[in-house]
Amino acid sequence: MLDFLQTLFRADFFFSILRITTPILFATLAAVIVEKAGISNIGLEGIMMISALFGSLCAYWASSWIAGLLAALLVGVLVALLMGVFAFNLKTDVILVGIAVNMIGSGGTLFLVKVITNLTEGKALASTTSLAVSANQIPSISIPLIRDIPLVGEILSGHSLLTYLAFALVFVTWVLLYKTAPGLNLRAVGENPHAASSVGVSVLKMRYVAIGLSGLMAGFGGAFMSMSYAAGWSQDMVAGRGFIALAAQAMGGGEPLGSMFSALLFGFAQAFGIKLSSKGVDSNLASPIPYVVTILGLLFFALFKRRSGSLRHRAHKKGASK
Amino acid sequence: MNKTRQLSFRLVRGTVAILIALLVAMVLVFISVEGDSIADKFSATAGALRNLLIAPLFDEGAGFNLKRLTDILAAMIPTIFTGLSVCVMFSANEFNLGGEGSAMLGAFSAAMGAIYIPFAGLASFSVGLATGLHILLCLLIAAVSCALMMLIPAVLKAKLQVSEMVCSLMLNYVVMYVIKYLMNTHLADKSKGLIQSFAFQPTAQIPQLVDNGSKLSWGFVIALGFVGITALFMYRSRWGYAIRMLGFNKDFVKYAGIRSGSMIVLSQLVGGLLAGLGGGIIMLGRYTTFSWGALPGYGWTGITIAILAGNNPIFVPFAAFFMAYLNKGCDLMATYAGVPSQLIDILQALIFLFFAAEQFLSRYRQKLVVRSAQKGLSAGGGKEARADA
Repeated sequence: MLDFLQTLFRADFFFSILRITTPILFATLAAVIVEKAGISNIGLEGIMMISALFGSLCAYWASSWIAGLLAALLVGVLVALLMGVFAFNLKTDVILVGIAVNMIGSGGTLFLVKVITNLTEGKALASTTSLAVSANQIPSISIPLIRDIPLVGEILSGHSLLTYLAFALVFVTWVLLYKTAPGLNLRAVGENPHAASSVGVSVLKMRYVAIGLSGLMAGFGGAFMSMSYAAGWSQDMVAGRGFIALAAQAMGGGEPLGSMFSALLFGFAQAFGIKLSSKGVDSNLASPIPYVVTILGLLFFALFKRRSGSLRHRAHKKGASK
Repeated sequence: MNKTRQLSFRLVRGTVAILIALLVAMVLVFISVEGDSIADKFSATAGALRNLLIAPLFDEGAGFNLKRLTDILAAMIPTIFTGLSVCVMFSANEFNLGGEGSAMLGAFSAAMGAIYIPFAGLASFSVGLATGLHILLCLLIAAVSCALMMLIPAVLKAKLQVSEMVCSLMLNYVVMYVIKYLMNTHLADKSKGLIQSFAFQPTAQIPQLVDNGSKLSWGFVIALGFVGITALFMYRSRWGYAIRMLGFNKDFVKYAGIRSGSMIVLSQLVGGLLAGLGGGIIMLGRYTTFSWGALPGYGWTGITIAILAGNNPIFVPFAAFFMAYLNKGCDLMATYAGVPSQLIDILQALIFLFFAAEQFLSRYRQKLVVRSAQKGLSAGGGKEARADA
């Protein structure tokens, strides 16, 4: 047991937490932005799948990871805007739009892979792994100075470009939401669309901006999945990360920084599960850990919120009686 | 607009939605079929579409194909149940997506009952009685275990406002992995090459309705029975009324003195029960061992079906037939025209997107309203027009 704990708390474990958190964090930021505008986008999972596929394919065709990344982002934004057309213009329930996108993300991507590449006919598990070349993967960066610090360098240096970007985007998202005029408009639309439109904010436009941005973030997440986390796209590779992100958003109270910490918690849970299965625990027993942690996390967060809410309520009452 | 006109508008809209989806499917098929020239591709596309649209029931030249009809009816058994389950939950505006996990858990627990509950003693006394009781018991286990599973998201939602959607989605994964773990380790029949359980006892196998290999079991009749039961529950019982009102207007429910928390829980319990029954019935009617290694997909199809049926249980069998027909068509297309069968997922998503789009063809509806109002005015009194407004 002690032995196990020793192998657990080593630099490589913390390194893997950051790596595993990256796609969850991208999706979480997507959820944060879109929820601020009062929309729940449960299609993040599907968008990530579709982006992952096109990212990996375009990187192969153009022999360049930049092309792949751009394709993933473009596809992510396009799918999200299309969701917007259905949800805002055709008034389809936004939850149902999300479910539809997830269906396409799961089965539809497999259809496209079979049609486009003809690679996977007859195989049980489809993937584009055979197309992936390491040169087309998103590069890792080792940071000068930091990489030379003993432990810290091992944990923080040598990550994928997108990992650094994900954590930087937490700050960018906060600035965007709280320090810019469009961010203010976006939050206003989420909190009270009528009030926002009465002061001349175009509610429809802001909703499109929000869902488009969420598509962009999910596109980053998808690109990371197929071009950095794994080599190439494979069937159902996102494996619920888009849904975990929704939980992370809720637990973070919808704020960028708090949601980042809950994304890290889920990253930890998953890294822990992977570590366990590498130590000989049945992988089918270790794999559900992040999902269980998500449910427990939501439960504890809700309990905590209720308690602090009732405390505030009581304090308020006390103040009023005086 | 009066009622018949409203109905005809909905029919037109549904037809247009399906046509659009088929048009997209045609384009996708055109891209995916093999062919050297454009003309080749067109004829291949036509052949593939014939497989999709006509072949599920009719052979080329030979006429009606009974085996394929029974295949389709057999495929409807689990999706009728998941469709009903989604109808109940979505009627209450509870977006519980645990149908997938429930169907798998129901199938698994029914299978465990079918293998391990000893009924051999009773079977030597009376085979008919033993069969009936054993199946009933297995299905009861399936339904109860899934209702208990759904209790988790339901109670969390009712007591703590935790999103039932996220919670149920996470539960799907947990259920799948735990069942896979149990199957790989403790419950597998090690004498077999594949990962599968021991064989079900004969007393637990649901008898077949038609014995032609389609696996159309008496489960189909049970499914139709539950369509009636669910419809009665939703439209003729107090609880069903409360569930529908909860989805219609949450505040009204509170105002009317109905406890919305217990209705949130009840709708999801019933949803879990139905989906679990579906999983159990398909397992005992179609298979003789448990060998599922992944979620079956019935839950997602159930959502499409519920949306096509407008959350009305009575229409569920028709929607289920439609989806099973398309699914069969996609399978045939995959076999004979080389179009990947996952086309069904894209078709399904498109159809239900347009079906659920409230503003889709709204201009046409506007025109209908105006026309009926004008007619009402010219008929004198303008009573109908005012009543419509």
